[in-house]
Amino acid sequence: MKKSRLRFIAPIAVVTALALAGCSTSNLGGTADADPAAEAGPIKIGAVLDVTGVGASLGVPEQNTLTMLAKQLNADGGIDGRDVELTIVDNQSTEDGAAKATSKLIESDKVDLIIGASRTGPSLAMRPIAEAAKVPMISVAANIAIVEGSQWVFKTAQNDVVVIERILDDAKAKGYTKLALVRDATGFGEGVADYITKLGAERGITLVMTEAFEPSATDFTPQMTNVRGSDADAVIIWGINPSAGLAQKAYVQLGVNKPVYHSHGISNQAFFDAAGDAANGVIAPMGRLLVADQLAADNPQSTVIDQFKADYSKAYSEQPSGFAGHAFDAWHIAVNAIDAVGTDPEALRTELETAKWTGISGVFKMTAKNHSGLDASALILAEAEDGRWNLLKD
Amino acid sequence: MTHATTPVPAGMRSPGARFWMNNKSMLIGCGVLVVLMIVVPFTASSSVMNIVVFAMIFALPAIGLNLLMGLAGQVSLGQAAFFAIGAYTHAILLTKLDLPGPVAATIGVLAAMLVALLVGLPLMRLRGHYLALATLGLGFIVMIGVREWDVTGRTTGIYGISRPTVFGIPIDNNGFFLWFVTPFVVIGLILALNLTRSRAGRALSAVNDSELAAESLGVNTYALRLKVFVLSAGFAGLGGVFYAYQVAIVSPSTSEFHLSVSILLMVVIGGLGSVWGAVAGAFLVQFLGEGMRDIIPAIFPGATGEVQLLGYGIVLILVILLLPGGLFQAATTLWQKLPFGGKRPPVDAHAHAAEDDTTIPQLPAVSTPVAAGEPILVISGLTKRYGGVVAVNDVSLSVPAGSILGLIGPNGAGKTTCFNMISGALTPTSGTVTFLGQVISGRKPHVAAAHGLTRTFQNLQVFTSTDVVGNVYMGRYRKGSAGVLRGMLGLQSSEQSAHRAASYEILASMRLTDAADDSASDLSFGKQRIMEVCRALAAEPALLLLDEPMAGLSGAERDVMAELLRRLRAAGLTIVLVEHDVAQVMSLADHVAVLDDGVLIAHGDPESVRNDPAVVVAYLGTDLDEAEAELIELEEHA
Amino acid sequence: MLTDFLQLTVAGLSQGSVYALLAVGLIAVYTVRHVINIAQGEFAMLAGLGSAWLVAAGMPLFLGVLVAILTVTLVAIAMERLIIARVKKLTPLTSIILTLGVSTLLQAIMLLAWGPEAKGVPLFPGTNILIGGVSIRSQEFWMIGALVVVGGGIVLFYEKSRWGKALRACAEQPVAARIVGISPVAASVLAFAIAGFVGAVAGVVASPIYLSLWSGGVLLGLKGFVAAVLGGFVSFRAAIVGALLLGMIEAYVAGYVASGLRDGAAFLILILVLVVRPQGLVLKPTAVRV
Repeated sequence: MKKSRLRFIAPIAVVTALALAGCSTSNLGGTADADPAAEAGPIKIGAVLDVTGVGASLGVPEQNTLTMLAKQLNADGGIDGRDVELTIVDNQSTEDGAAKATSKLIESDKVDLIIGASRTGPSLAMRPIAEAAKVPMISVAANIAIVEGSQWVFKTAQNDVVVIERILDDAKAKGYTKLALVRDATGFGEGVADYITKLGAERGITLVMTEAFEPSATDFTPQMTNVRGSDADAVIIWGINPSAGLAQKAYVQLGVNKPVYHSHGISNQAFFDAAGDAANGVIAPMGRLLVADQLAADNPQSTVIDQFKADYSKAYSEQPSGFAGHAFDAWHIAVNAIDAVGTDPEALRTELETAKWTGISGVFKMTAKNHSGLDASALILAEAEDGRWNLLKD
Repeated sequence: MTHATTPVPAGMRSPGARFWMNNKSMLIGCGVLVVLMIVVPFTASSSVMNIVVFAMIFALPAIGLNLLMGLAGQVSLGQAAFFAIGAYTHAILLTKLDLPGPVAATIGVLAAMLVALLVGLPLMRLRGHYLALATLGLGFIVMIGVREWDVTGRTTGIYGISRPTVFGIPIDNNGFFLWFVTPFVVIGLILALNLTRSRAGRALSAVNDSELAAESLGVNTYALRLKVFVLSAGFAGLGGVFYAYQVAIVSPSTSEFHLSVSILLMVVIGGLGSVWGAVAGAFLVQFLGEGMRDIIPAIFPGATGEVQLLGYGIVLILVILLLPGGLFQAATTLWQKLPFGGKRPPVDAHAHAAEDDTTIPQLPAVSTPVAAGEPILVISGLTKRYGGVVAVNDVSLSVPAGSILGLIGPNGAGKTTCFNMISGALTPTSGTVTFLGQVISGRKPHVAAAHGLTRTFQNLQVFTSTDVVGNVYMGRYRKGSAGVLRGMLGLQSSEQSAHRAASYEILASMRLTDAADDSASDLSFGKQRIMEVCRALAAEPALLLLDEPMAGLSGAERDVMAELLRRLRAAGLTIVLVEHDVAQVMSLADHVAVLDDGVLIAHGDPESVRNDPAVVVAYLGTDLDEAEAELIELEEHA
Repeated sequence: MLTDFLQLTVAGLSQGSVYALLAVGLIAVYTVRHVINIAQGEFAMLAGLGSAWLVAAGMPLFLGVLVAILTVTLVAIAMERLIIARVKKLTPLTSIILTLGVSTLLQAIMLLAWGPEAKGVPLFPGTNILIGGVSIRSQEFWMIGALVVVGGGIVLFYEKSRWGKALRACAEQPVAARIVGISPVAASVLAFAIAGFVGAVAGVVASPIYLSLWSGGVLLGLKGFVAAVLGGFVSFRAAIVGALLLGMIEAYVAGYVASGLRDGAAFLILILVLVVRPQGLVLKPTAVRV
């Protein structure tokens, strides 16, 4: 009986009608309930993180950190007596998930500021949306492209360019002239080969081959077989975990015995979980968090790092990762700026451009030109040994 | 209520809602949908608004998939691939080539359809599972393709797609966007609804009931399925276009498997074959997904990610187990339980057809392009082997136009195999069948049907999902011409009503008018057989192949049938019949051919065949009792 | 060059062994029920994640693996009894939707139970060896070994034992199966049990190096399907050969063309085979259409 379609409209009508409430023009670009509440009520901070999917090893500790910090802040009375309402949305490690989440946070939740995403690709997807809506955004991902030329977007992870320079300097010092790159195929690894070629030329280092892997990859035999056959002196594996750890494991198991550098994308326990003993001897530039116990006593970051490690391990009974540190810095930079100028977007943006913060990932000095705020001093070189990192060079 | 309000052409009773849908309820339905969509932005909270917008976007691929699954009976697990192709093409043309929105969108939809055509050309020849899994593979290929190609922005995708501007108004909020999408969904809905009740749509549902019967009535299953597959991809592509606008980014995840699953779920929840169900399903799945994302973390602390899949999986299983027709079925059942709904209006059973049984009914039209006596069907050297077994061995004969040929032989003699080769259902191992000067052997049945050859089946092939008149109407398929496009645009109503009138007339000629609106599967076996003959006659064939037309018929019915066949012959129709009732064959046929063990052992007029010793031996040689019975029959007749 | 080629071949063979076991499971169910079980890959992931969890909780490696395999076998039987058997008339359409539903449900359960991260069972005992520059990981021996023992065992069972032969005949001749003493119900349960078992074995042997992920089953199951199609969906031997070929082709594509294209290669093969030789690579052409 196909005739009476009315009865199929009826459920739609009922569902919709049930869900409807009130009457406003806020869905039509009106601002019925946004502005009057803006300077009262809770301060709304949204976060878009890679909680699930390939970026989960980054997003989960970031989510933990933000949740913990929001709780602490509200327990301490919030900002100027206003509570901070933190909304974390999982982008499932996808670009359009990130874009959707950003639109939702801006349009539905009317957030004052957005933190995220965990990785470069989703952050790039969020950028035009935040810019169009004129909402300040602080990414916790690495690639410089996230902030380059942007007025509204900032980031707290160390720039990949700086990381590459660190690696190349060390390679030059050790006399390597030919490097092979095995990189993440997503946004995090894009552009890395170009930088190595460009920055390597100044140091007499050439990039002899580039291989790529998906962050979801589990088999690295083809890439590592090709690397093994190349004439490179050393290899850079550029990725996040678990894939970077698995790549390292395959590298060792296939008997490639060239020195290996990794990026700062591996600064968490997941690297050792995935790579196991194969991690020994890996050299990577990273923030100071993972070698906090080996820092000089007068290091300006020591206090904040120690406090964070204590708080985090108390709350989650595990040690924080470098990514947790990126979220920690983003949160504090955001809160400090809101504390100073309130939630007016333009004022907040201007304030963020002058932000100074001694944090986990380094000592930040934002400027109108530099929305990243970290220089090479934010990074140290460390070598992996039996599941921990040894500080090589501060 | 809303049904049975179609104006009934004079002299014809209301067929009710079973087969003929009416325009009025479609318009009311669309009207309600439009009004709702106009109102929603003023009343809905912004999160509900968000869901509604995505529901409307996904309604498009869901409608498309519903046409494919419900109408063409094919499963695609790669609907997201076409969605992604539409979205990517649109996004690339907008951001990299700065094409105007409508142009980019059109090319996006066409790109999706083109890929579907290329993939469908080979794949639609395969059945069932294979298309499903091949489209699933296609989904992965598209995802890998966009991830590895610079033009599609690799893993990051294409971002920074600006919202459209319509008549100078920027569509920069969800409310405007909803109003922007709604007209397209409504138009898509109307096109799809029109298609389901068009000539092509009915043919497809007939194919789902019996592919063999539909093809022998002239339905080119392959071409129709391919068209619907392409169309369904077009719907998905259009959805992708809007998705790109709404989300402002297109990334490889638009081609993700889980997206295909959720589109499939929309169709299944809504009810396979119900276009409105697809729209309702889109809303339901969006709300379900959003709801699950809220509820599940509350039940399972710490649950993150795509937890809504839990609900999707459970719902998919439960719907198929408990409610295979989805919401559509539930709503229909509910409606029928209501005191005022459901029951079909009491039809005046004798208003039209209560003609006196003694009057001689009008004869169905016959179209014979050759003069009586000219050979219309020529079989030469027809052979079918299965491995080492020869089912039909080198059979040659010729049938003159305007005559009846009876094909007899013991069980397993190869009669039906012969029939199947003539009608195109089987490809001969060697030999040819020439019909009206055209070689038709080895082609599909619809080719023979197009030339004017129709058949009935020993094992009845009834279109069970429709009523009796619907079955006969399918016989008119070859006389119609409206294709998928005309069907979607609703430009065939005059054609349809003419065929409808003809269908009733043919039923009247076999005194089946009273049963015209009954469900075909409710008929007695004998009536179903008569209905099949009516269906074949509705095609106005030049040659009619009848496979045991008398089996299961009562004595009176046999007489009616025999009388009809004689009159049809007189009108110029050529008939070939396989029949067990040798007496009937001998009295009806102008010529009789006898097959034994696949070999033509006798061919001639009934008198000479009856006296042929080889025939007698053949009948004796198989089964003594049966042969004796046959012999007695033969004697009696003599 | 030759070393590289051999290295890729080893990787392809071990990966192909996993596909082969999944293909065996798919064919086992298909021959009896004419159902293509989309949840086949989930059996592997369920076993991998389950045993990783058991071992992490302190259970000895092989005990954990065994418990996981048996549990997954029971899950497969439950799937047959509670879901597949409840449908009176299974059409390709309903069977695809149903097994897709089970696949989705199992994924969600894994996500809820063990979270979104990939997890691995510890490496099985053994040492990596290096022959002429080609390194063979100990786990790869386990993977290939699992195919030889379990896959070979299943093939022998089907070809030599009365029950196996009856199962094979089941699809075409339910009566023949009855004569040997297998009711259609028992045959169906047995087929699903085999599917669950081989899927689980594939899942646990692959887990130490390829890891197990809640959402990883679909792709893996599809690779098994591609292999089964190469075998025309009837021949275990042909499917196993097809699976090993598929693994090697993937490895060569990844090594010599681009690693990102490896999955694309598999599905390109699938579509090509379906178009050119839907009856599979090995069998002589017969009427597979209807």
